[in-house]
Amino acid sequence: MSDPSTVPTRPAPPDAPVAGEHASVAVYVKVAVILTLITAMEFSAIYIRQLTPILIPLLLVMSAAKFALVVLFFMHLRYDSRALSFIFAGSLTIATAIALALLALTGQLLHFQR
Amino acid sequence: MGTSGRARRLSRLGLAGATSLLAGCGWNGPQTSLVPVSDFAREILHVYAIITWAAIVIAAVVVAVLGWVLLRFRARPDAALPRQIRGHALLEIGWTIAPALVLLVIAVPTIHVVFRTQGAPPAGALEVIVRGKQWWWEFSYPAYQITTANELHLPVGRPAVLRLEGDDVIHSFWVPQLGGKRDVIPGRHNQLSFTPDTPGTYLGQCAEFCGTSHANMLVRLIVEPTDTFERWMASERAPAAQPQSGPAADGAALFAASACVGCHTVRGVSSGVIGPDLTHFGGRATLAAGMLPSTVDNVTAWILDPPRIKPGVKMPALGLSEAQARSIAAYLLSLK
Amino acid sequence: MTVATRALELPHTHVAAEATGLWSWVTTVDHKRIGILYGVTAFGFFLLGGIEALIIRLQLARPGNTLVGADTFNALFTMHGTTMVFLAIMPFGSAFFNYLVPLMIGARDVAFPRLNALSYWIFLIGGLFLNASLLIGAPPDTGWFGYANLTTRPFSPGLNVDFWLLSLQILGASSIIAAINFIVTIVNMRPPGMTLMRMPVFVWMTLVVQFLVILAFPAVTVGLIFLMFDRFFGTHFYDVAAGADLHLWQHLFWIFGHPEVYILILPAFGIVSEVLPVFARKPLFGAPVVIYSGVLIGFFGFGVWSHHMFATGMGPVADSAFAIMTMLISIPTGVKIFNWLATLWGGSIRGTTALHFAVGLIATFTIGGLSGIMHSSPPVDLQQTDTYFVVAHLHYVLIGGSLFGLLAGAHYWWPKITGRLLDERLGRLTFWLVFVGFNVAFFPQHYLGAMGMPRRIYTYPASTGWGPWNLLSTVGAFGIGLGILLFIVDAARSLRSGPRAPADPWDGRTLEWRTSSPPPPHDFDTIPPVYGRDTFWREKHGDAQGRKPAPLPPAPDPHGIHLPAPSHWPIVVAVGAGLAAVGALTHLALVLLGALVLLYGAFRFAFEHRRDPAHADQTGTTGIDHRKMAIWAFLGSECMLFGTLIATYLAYKGRSVTGPHPHEILNLPLTTLSTFDLLMSSLLMVLALAAVQRGDRGQARLWLLGTAVFGLIFLGFQAYEFTHFVHEGLTLQQNLFGSTFFVLTGFHGGHVALGVLWLLTLWVLDVRGKLSTLDAMKVEIAGLYWHFVDVVWIVIFTLVYLVP
Repeated sequence: MSDPSTVPTRPAPPDAPVAGEHASVAVYVKVAVILTLITAMEFSAIYIRQLTPILIPLLLVMSAAKFALVVLFFMHLRYDSRALSFIFAGSLTIATAIALALLALTGQLLHFQR
Repeated sequence: MGTSGRARRLSRLGLAGATSLLAGCGWNGPQTSLVPVSDFAREILHVYAIITWAAIVIAAVVVAVLGWVLLRFRARPDAALPRQIRGHALLEIGWTIAPALVLLVIAVPTIHVVFRTQGAPPAGALEVIVRGKQWWWEFSYPAYQITTANELHLPVGRPAVLRLEGDDVIHSFWVPQLGGKRDVIPGRHNQLSFTPDTPGTYLGQCAEFCGTSHANMLVRLIVEPTDTFERWMASERAPAAQPQSGPAADGAALFAASACVGCHTVRGVSSGVIGPDLTHFGGRATLAAGMLPSTVDNVTAWILDPPRIKPGVKMPALGLSEAQARSIAAYLLSLK
Repeated sequence: MTVATRALELPHTHVAAEATGLWSWVTTVDHKRIGILYGVTAFGFFLLGGIEALIIRLQLARPGNTLVGADTFNALFTMHGTTMVFLAIMPFGSAFFNYLVPLMIGARDVAFPRLNALSYWIFLIGGLFLNASLLIGAPPDTGWFGYANLTTRPFSPGLNVDFWLLSLQILGASSIIAAINFIVTIVNMRPPGMTLMRMPVFVWMTLVVQFLVILAFPAVTVGLIFLMFDRFFGTHFYDVAAGADLHLWQHLFWIFGHPEVYILILPAFGIVSEVLPVFARKPLFGAPVVIYSGVLIGFFGFGVWSHHMFATGMGPVADSAFAIMTMLISIPTGVKIFNWLATLWGGSIRGTTALHFAVGLIATFTIGGLSGIMHSSPPVDLQQTDTYFVVAHLHYVLIGGSLFGLLAGAHYWWPKITGRLLDERLGRLTFWLVFVGFNVAFFPQHYLGAMGMPRRIYTYPASTGWGPWNLLSTVGAFGIGLGILLFIVDAARSLRSGPRAPADPWDGRTLEWRTSSPPPPHDFDTIPPVYGRDTFWREKHGDAQGRKPAPLPPAPDPHGIHLPAPSHWPIVVAVGAGLAAVGALTHLALVLLGALVLLYGAFRFAFEHRRDPAHADQTGTTGIDHRKMAIWAFLGSECMLFGTLIATYLAYKGRSVTGPHPHEILNLPLTTLSTFDLLMSSLLMVLALAAVQRGDRGQARLWLLGTAVFGLIFLGFQAYEFTHFVHEGLTLQQNLFGSTFFVLTGFHGGHVALGVLWLLTLWVLDVRGKLSTLDAMKVEIAGLYWHFVDVVWIVIFTLVYLVP
């Protein structure tokens, strides 16, 4: 009944290079395995006394890795248009910067880093 | 007064001149922020003058250019299409850098003053605890162990530090001639530190919306020579007056027997903490946080019906008769 | 007659007459009608806010005045501010975005026409709800900025604050939905040849504003959620005795509040950037620089918010950082002003009303911007903040800036929208009344502030000396009112009997002038070609070398153009939201009813065009599907939502006055298991999507159900955890940890629950054979939402459970 996009029809360009157009099931399973491993590592790291001095940076790096894996592969951002990455990464950057500023302003950033 | 003092006086004059030019009126009102009487206020005015002059010059230039352009390039009948200029890189760079330079001139003294005025107060500073409440101010002097309300005395020439504490909502302590304002935030410990340099009575009021009677939360700050201050402090530390006869004595008895004692402290008589300390109420020039001069008529009217004078006030009308209120007023005014 | 204008003279005899009547307006999804709805509604609220302002000014005209009492006055300035910001200026901007953006980019409507209608109806409901408070005598009275803890129940026990916080959340939802719509429209619906840098500056400013909206509103939404929970459910976000920090509200509010002022001014800047070139008959000087400076202002606008807090005792380092950031922002702003002056320079300036307002903006915004620079210096600001000096500043930028820009736009685009011309003489008189009245009203307020007059006071004693200046200010305010009245007269006369407007009355530069006034329902007979910036001008006058483009082929039969169909589901959803809000103040049953109506409406909305093959493929000009771009924009917004929720949790960590504390009660092994479960659900989700894309219905059903089940398992873990915590003494009300923990993880759980509902809906569709490869995009969108919820949990798991 309606077609809000009234651009003269032409074939839509592919979202991504044909070769990696969709990551295969194998890739997805591999990512899932890595996610599981990292989660296990995170959980164990809490109990390893020797890691305590670097525990917080370690945990942050590991969770950032999981975050990136899900966004890039499961959410397909690695294979999709750069416009989408820009929208998401821009928002994420601003949100993270503001969250960090909030922590610094409430004096909790130092507390957090202890 | 050295060159920096002269520069400060000049900048103060400059700022006052600028404002007068714009306002066509004097710069000296009872709550003016342009006539400094402390080091804090002078530091601020120094930066204030720089920025104001910069702003005036820039505004004048922009408005003048705008006016000239509008006149010079008015459309004429049958005029050809003007040259379709799309831009000029050098101009863009120029008018990006120029504002940046002006900002530098503003930023440098700004940062200096920010740090200079927020440092630790000097040792030996007179400490006053300022408690902002809906809708009055409590002042206590820990070193002297006295508490009073709404009128604050400071000795001239001695550094003072006001520790701002909140009991209910956010308020803001502001006596413009003594300097900028600072919020009173429950749970936080803000402070203002400055050295007043000119005796006088300075007015201010709460500057953060705090409810119904936000407009009625005034401050009187009295800066006086040290011996006068010491005399005032001595009378504040003295026990409450005990009138022996007359309406004041009747009032004293009434006061001690009424609900007044539940909220107010008169040292030796009562110890309520909800309302202002009244031990030396008679020594204050105003009541209800600066709303009215402290006369027997005004105090009587207040006691009879506080909410009529100060909307929302927590002090209720106690159902007293006019005569009873008048005698309590006489008592309170005797508490010098 | 040029080729371009000849195309416009073709009669539109083949097009069916546009439907009229109330129902056609209630169900409209036409961007032009929605624009008119926004404009008329905004103007109504503007008049209401203006009356509130005039009463304020009457009360303050004399010292010790008793026209209104303290509480009434406090409600007046609260309603005036809230109304002008959210119900007048913002929707005025939306009116122009709606009407003009599709026309300016040669599109026939926005990306999501029904969502567009939804935004309007939600806005209307929100505005009516806020003003309903006046009818029951409980108008909000704690300021448009509602500082906690004055707004908490102990200090504001009535319904006033509840009206305020609920309507702001409704209005925020409206804005965010509209913003996503316009981001997708602008990025994804431009015609061939219109690169981003060839877009009109107004469209660029609109795009920046939409990004500001989706990133700024979540912050105030979170702040309001905290306030709502404190007031309704006994949490302690703003409870000092429980360890809360009252700076939190101010930070959250101003993280929104400062970008909000750029949301208010950038559309006006965009309008001026269109009006000046047309009436100076020269291109915008330095258009790319004007665009970049708008983008910079938007971006840096997120880094200056605490300049509203210089008096709150943040410390010299924070003060200095925000002072410098604020000063930096004035550079791109100044650059714009200089570029506008250079646009006029050397031009052939026609003094139309629109030009008057645009030029007026340059003068008054310069003054407002300069007083802003004064505020950027913390020491000086300590004498100016919370005084009439800043009231002067904000009105110089909001009236002298935003309103003047919008009035310029109103006079500029009036012929296009209504098909009639306004009276230039009346218009110029309007301008001078408003301009002079405005300066008389607000310039003295700088002085009043310097003389120590604070804001938000209902009266003052005569001994202050403020009386005469307040009286002058009041006179000026009535001058503004008179000017607005004159505008109404002008508008009414024009609508009734004004001369008919041609398609291009001003010799314009942009595409909206290339169609009739008003445009036909389908906007353009043919999508116009784009040769560069100011493409229409080039068609008429040639480019720098005087070359004109080749003539266009004749227009095709407009009968072949399909327009979005009207729909009544948007208003149903909006009414549901309104019912729920009313229920929040009256009875839980009404909340449930409202939620049900909303959900039902949302489902019918979602399924309305399920069988329409034209809806299956919504690929835009970038090659990205509209819905995919929209969900990513939404997820960007959610980053801010969860970012501020998580930051609050961390900011309040360790501040609970009583126990239980995290280390005593969090169950790490169990939560690790639930985290694993959620991660695996994401795997199942991608398998489901792959199956749908392959057309493997059996596997699709399996994996879709599997994802939903794993989601339910996660929720089960969470339910167990919550129940266990309550038994151990940790409730929502127990302490700060209880408040922050339950709200953060509860909102996340709510997102999971909605995701499960979404997935089960898709599963049911698949079971009934209604999910084919053509519907893969629907599954992909659901998947993106689901993975994002997973990703947020990754962050929460680390920062709440793992980090000691």
